[in-house]
Amino acid sequence: MTSYLIGVDIGGTFTDCVIVGDDGQITTAKAPSTPEDYSRGVLNSMSVAADQLGYSLEEICRSTRLLTHGTTIGTNAVIQKRGAKVGIITTKGHNDVIHIMRGSRGLTGRDISKIIHFPESSKPTPLVPKSLIEGISERVDYRGDVVVPLHEGETREAIKSLLDKGVEAIAICFLWSFKRPEHELRVKEILAEMAPDVFVTCSSDLVPRWGEYERLTATALNAYIGPLTAGYLLRLDQKFKDLGYAYPLQVVQCGGGTISVERAVQAPLLTLDSGPVAGVTGSKYLGQIMGYSNIITTDMGGTSFDVGLVIDGEPAASSLGLVNQYEYFLPNVDIQAIGAGGGSLVEIDEKNGLIKVGPQSAGAQPGPVCYGRGGTQATVTDAALVLGYISPDKFASGTMKLAKDQAEKVIYDVAASLDMTPLACAAGIVRIAEFQMADLIRKATVQRGIDPRDFVVFAFGGAGPMHAGVYAFEAGAKKVVVPQTKMASTWCAFGAGAADILHVYEIVDIIAEPFGASQFSQHLASLEAQADAQFDYEQGSTAGKISYRYSISLRHKGQINEVEIFLPGAHLTEGDIAKLKGEFYDRYEQLYGLGSYYSKAKLEAVTFRLRAVVETPKPQLVQSLTATGEIPDGVLLGSRSVYWDGLGQSVDTPVYDAELLVYGNAIVGPAILETVDTTIVLHPERRAFVDHFGNVEITQI
Amino acid sequence: MNNLQRMPKVSELPDVSFDGVNEPYIPGETLNISPKLKLHSKWSDDIDPISYEVIRHNLWNINEEHGATIQRISGSPVAIYAFDLNPSILTEDAEFVFFGPYMQYMSGVTDVQVKWLLENRSDNPGIEDGDMFLANDPWVGAAHQMDVMLICPVFWEGELFCWVTNCLHQHDIGGITPASFCPSAESTFDEGILIPPIKIIENNEIRRDIEELYLRSSRSPEIVALDFRAQMAGNMAAKERILALIKRYGPETIKGVMKKIISTAEVDFLEKLSKIPDGEWRERSYVECCRPGDRQVYPAHILVRKKGNHLTFENEGTALQDGAMNATYAGWRGSVMVAINQILCWEQSFAMGGALRHITFDPTPGTFTCARFPASVSTAPVQAMEIALYPTYNVLAKMVYSDPEMRKDIMCTGGSSQFPTVFFNGLDQRGDRYAMGLIDPLAGAIGAFSNGDGISTGGQARTPICKIPNIEHTEQLYPLLILYRREIADSGGAGKYRGGLSAEVAFMPHNTEEILHNTVSSGSALPTSIGMMGGYPGVTNIITFSKDTDVLTRMDEGLLFDDLEALGGETIAVPLRQENFSQKAADIFSVTWSGGGGYGEPLEREPSRVAEDVRAYSVTREAAHTVYGVVLDRETGDVNVALTKSLREDRRHKRIQSYEGDVKTLEGELILEVTQNINVRQGDAGKHYCCSRCSADLGAISGNYKEACISENLPLSVSNPLIGDPDRFVDADPLFRQFICPGCGFIVETEICLRDDPFLDDIRLQL
Repeated sequence: MTSYLIGVDIGGTFTDCVIVGDDGQITTAKAPSTPEDYSRGVLNSMSVAADQLGYSLEEICRSTRLLTHGTTIGTNAVIQKRGAKVGIITTKGHNDVIHIMRGSRGLTGRDISKIIHFPESSKPTPLVPKSLIEGISERVDYRGDVVVPLHEGETREAIKSLLDKGVEAIAICFLWSFKRPEHELRVKEILAEMAPDVFVTCSSDLVPRWGEYERLTATALNAYIGPLTAGYLLRLDQKFKDLGYAYPLQVVQCGGGTISVERAVQAPLLTLDSGPVAGVTGSKYLGQIMGYSNIITTDMGGTSFDVGLVIDGEPAASSLGLVNQYEYFLPNVDIQAIGAGGGSLVEIDEKNGLIKVGPQSAGAQPGPVCYGRGGTQATVTDAALVLGYISPDKFASGTMKLAKDQAEKVIYDVAASLDMTPLACAAGIVRIAEFQMADLIRKATVQRGIDPRDFVVFAFGGAGPMHAGVYAFEAGAKKVVVPQTKMASTWCAFGAGAADILHVYEIVDIIAEPFGASQFSQHLASLEAQADAQFDYEQGSTAGKISYRYSISLRHKGQINEVEIFLPGAHLTEGDIAKLKGEFYDRYEQLYGLGSYYSKAKLEAVTFRLRAVVETPKPQLVQSLTATGEIPDGVLLGSRSVYWDGLGQSVDTPVYDAELLVYGNAIVGPAILETVDTTIVLHPERRAFVDHFGNVEITQI
Repeated sequence: MNNLQRMPKVSELPDVSFDGVNEPYIPGETLNISPKLKLHSKWSDDIDPISYEVIRHNLWNINEEHGATIQRISGSPVAIYAFDLNPSILTEDAEFVFFGPYMQYMSGVTDVQVKWLLENRSDNPGIEDGDMFLANDPWVGAAHQMDVMLICPVFWEGELFCWVTNCLHQHDIGGITPASFCPSAESTFDEGILIPPIKIIENNEIRRDIEELYLRSSRSPEIVALDFRAQMAGNMAAKERILALIKRYGPETIKGVMKKIISTAEVDFLEKLSKIPDGEWRERSYVECCRPGDRQVYPAHILVRKKGNHLTFENEGTALQDGAMNATYAGWRGSVMVAINQILCWEQSFAMGGALRHITFDPTPGTFTCARFPASVSTAPVQAMEIALYPTYNVLAKMVYSDPEMRKDIMCTGGSSQFPTVFFNGLDQRGDRYAMGLIDPLAGAIGAFSNGDGISTGGQARTPICKIPNIEHTEQLYPLLILYRREIADSGGAGKYRGGLSAEVAFMPHNTEEILHNTVSSGSALPTSIGMMGGYPGVTNIITFSKDTDVLTRMDEGLLFDDLEALGGETIAVPLRQENFSQKAADIFSVTWSGGGGYGEPLEREPSRVAEDVRAYSVTREAAHTVYGVVLDRETGDVNVALTKSLREDRRHKRIQSYEGDVKTLEGELILEVTQNINVRQGDAGKHYCCSRCSADLGAISGNYKEACISENLPLSVSNPLIGDPDRFVDADPLFRQFICPGCGFIVETEICLRDDPFLDDIRLQL
């Protein structure tokens, strides 16, 4: 029997499964997500896919070498406020860190242009009420010196008090613990003795970084989602074992790789908001095969548009996560999002004759008007339907028939109030949304010193391929790739299966010049030891090739901007150190503009980082060897009337079955390319070309 | 006492030249621009709604990218944490298209400086493509000398198409005190360099001679030079993108969109004004201490007059300029504009040009919120400008209250309403010189709303997206050990809806011999986060210095404490303005900043909310009883409904029991809801105010309703239990005045005032 890789990704509406055989055969399936117990949806989607291959669930599990899972269980717990009752133990006098929130109100998901309207600008509900936060006597200073030793008596009283109040998880975070973790570790020991069953997280274990608000928030969030996520993953892992899967389940994490289920149970925070990340890791993998090292990934679903970057073959990283207005430290793949999806609502200001699109969204419920679920306000999807971009009969694999007449009616009303023709109005609505997406791409690139002209845009998600032909070129990119047309809408599940195992280790030590090679090497060696220990522990799951990548983040003393410089290895020579400054200035100018660095200022080292990667088995994609310009029979499905903004009129437009196109096929717009669950809109003056992996490339003519 | 005789307003001084030299620059109706400068003034009125929205969004994004560029390149804590900057786009004749979501008062200082430039530089040295102008003169239009503007004209085919500008607070530009906040300055000659707009970039190149002149007065020229490059890059990025838009869509379309952004905002603003009755609304507040050793207080007044489709703002009644507490016209106007934008224009995404067409600013020159040259103004933003800003929320709230929709936008005065400025300097833990201000009070507090509680440590309304540093950031940079930073129960003003809590930060020196402090703190004796419509004020600023405490001994014993009382030592009331105050090893310096003001009568707060406040450590049990009249079960903390009801009734009864006048109830037609406590009804003898609850007659609308109320002068500590004895700081006799409805005993309004103050005539309706 063939052996398989399986990726499963839970989304808001559907759970997607992709199975890749070592013969390169790809099978995709969807099943409804099951919020009351997500593992049912996971197994259902796997069963559907296995069924397509003619196997039972057990059979497929037994012959699987790698099963990778992307979960939203932690994210949902935060959003639905269903996490554990958490207690916090912290340095006395600093109990209010997560309430003060650095004096900000958390801007996540906010429309910045309305930020001055304070009556709708509150802080989120505190993760932990003040009554469950215990400050105890202990103090370490910025050098890591103990100013006041840990007071064990107070510690025991604090623990007792929290346990009496019924906490289910405890987060420990002291000031400067990333410089000296002993106090936190001692409290953990005492907890193990007093309350062995309580879920415990230490900030110095989880995210040993500089800045107590974001570190404590990370620690508290980890405790908050810990019991729920751990329970879910352990149950699922057991089910797979029972079904005959022989390896440890791998879980998608925010850093752009996977971790074993064991690590995910200790540090569930690593899985928080990891959903969109798999799309970036899948793009990285496909980019490697296709020879693209600079990629802008764009994922558009019903409610949001997510932009990620692969630069020089690696996903662009960030160290800050955001969920529900909480900001927390976490090494993650940097993904920028705006609430521009198919569900973005159209707003009309009749008095001034104005139109706006988003950021409010109709969401999945009621959804666009054409879903027929009670939506009454026009959305981008309604406009796309009216234009002829989407076929009302083929939406979501044909499982849902769209009500075109209802969409036409609301778009007609909008057009009438603006004194426009309905089709021009619908095209305008789509254009406004597409330009907003182009602006987000610009924000994610140009505003960080990255030139989008050096990048290709990968477009996936249910709606990405529909709009990429506008937003990508508007943002300045030269080419769009719709990866593996069959999988565009299940791309994150594929990405999960294509991800390597990744562990990120960090030490923060703020060191001003002059730098010493031995001091730096010492920190790097300690990171190396941590990674070695983890892999020794996880032996068995890590049969692949292990590689370590070291870096240091440097900055001008007295400034905030940090620049990450990659290092040749863990053992630095004085020569390596001497080169650092020049590399810093080069990179700084690249990111912040010519002449932006200031050579008279001292440099400071801040973060020492190790990314340890274990290669996992990869899906083997089958290449076609011979190109043909001849479009196979049956590919042209027919035609329908589509309104093209650039032409200013409706044109009878050919519709193709994108899944049947073969290597070498080229189609010139206007045209519509359909797959089972997404649509590629090929505007006039655009050309589509199918490459030897079956990806569709779009360029401007 | 200060001279309060009636002085002429700007509109009453037709012969005075408001040219930005001795008097503040106030642009006239038309600008006097040299014919050498050609303005691009053709635009299209025929823009389809889709193009409009696409281009509007682009222009908004350009301005956002402008701000992000400055932050990115500057990299300084001022730019990144305090967001003390703002970028703008203006039309060729200096009307706002957009300003940014950063430091809000900077909007008000931007258009006037560009207008001055048009009038004064278009002939000599001329305004050309490729130029940029540097400016920081507060009489021309800066808020204070450290707010340095870089102004960039954008040309299209030889005509001035529009302006992009930015303003960024500089770390130090000279003057007698490090960091250029000069609390003891007697005039601007003691302060940083003054620069009326000068051409610092010519033909896209920095003029080295001018740059050296600019940097020469600074104690940290490297940082100022880097910030200057950040400002330049921000303008360049914005200019390039606007030119790209013009190329793509044509100049007349882009200009048409700019004009339509303004006119759309104008239409919306006028629609709002049309829903508001004509009248005058007034607020009064006090600033303390204008120079070291001073124990006086100085009134600041704000008045808004609404007549038809026009608003006029005045400061009549404000004390004369004196010492170092002053602001110029631009700072006052910019502050008032912050509140106007937030209450009346918040849907307009920072496009204020339309509203400004219908607003007149008519202050009285020579007062401390509209000071003449050469007054000291370096501390303007933390004192005179804040006392100009926050009371404006109250006058606008009362102006819009009668409209049920606009009522939802009301906000009470927020925390740090007089910023407790603590600048410290000395040798840091590495032996290097440093000078830095305590940024923590920027965590402020947001005042209560008309439909909900304020936001605890929710920031300062005038810098809506700022963040304070982590403790670990501050301790890394400066030789401090921060003992605690915590929210303070009862610091938020009481009311039907409670003001947000403020916080306290306390620190001791660490790895240094001594810290030297320069302090400016008004709002320490009299609360400046005043309440609204019966609400109580938030706590005052409290700066405490505990000398020779036991902290080191206690630490040796292994104990930390999170309040000063447990640590002994001698408590010294820190003078409100002082320089080079020394803090040694066992001395603790603590700053509590003012909280948010409360909205409405505290006795009307839902008792269950008070119980929840007590559980959440927002209100103490004592205050729940004394201020809110809520009785909680000792064990469970739940509300004792029966006892609460009788306690509250008893309180109201006591307030009115000795009233001997007649209470007449009005039953005529309800004409207007004036505040949450006052209605206007048609009476037999014309329109009368009455209590909104019991309809007790409060007199004709031609008079002051307060005359018909029972007035009670109470100590300040009744208004907020955390407020200490004002006698420590000022000679005046301040008090908390309540105006009680003689019919039902509920509070109609409150005042923070001096004993001799007449009742403030806060509402004058023209119905």
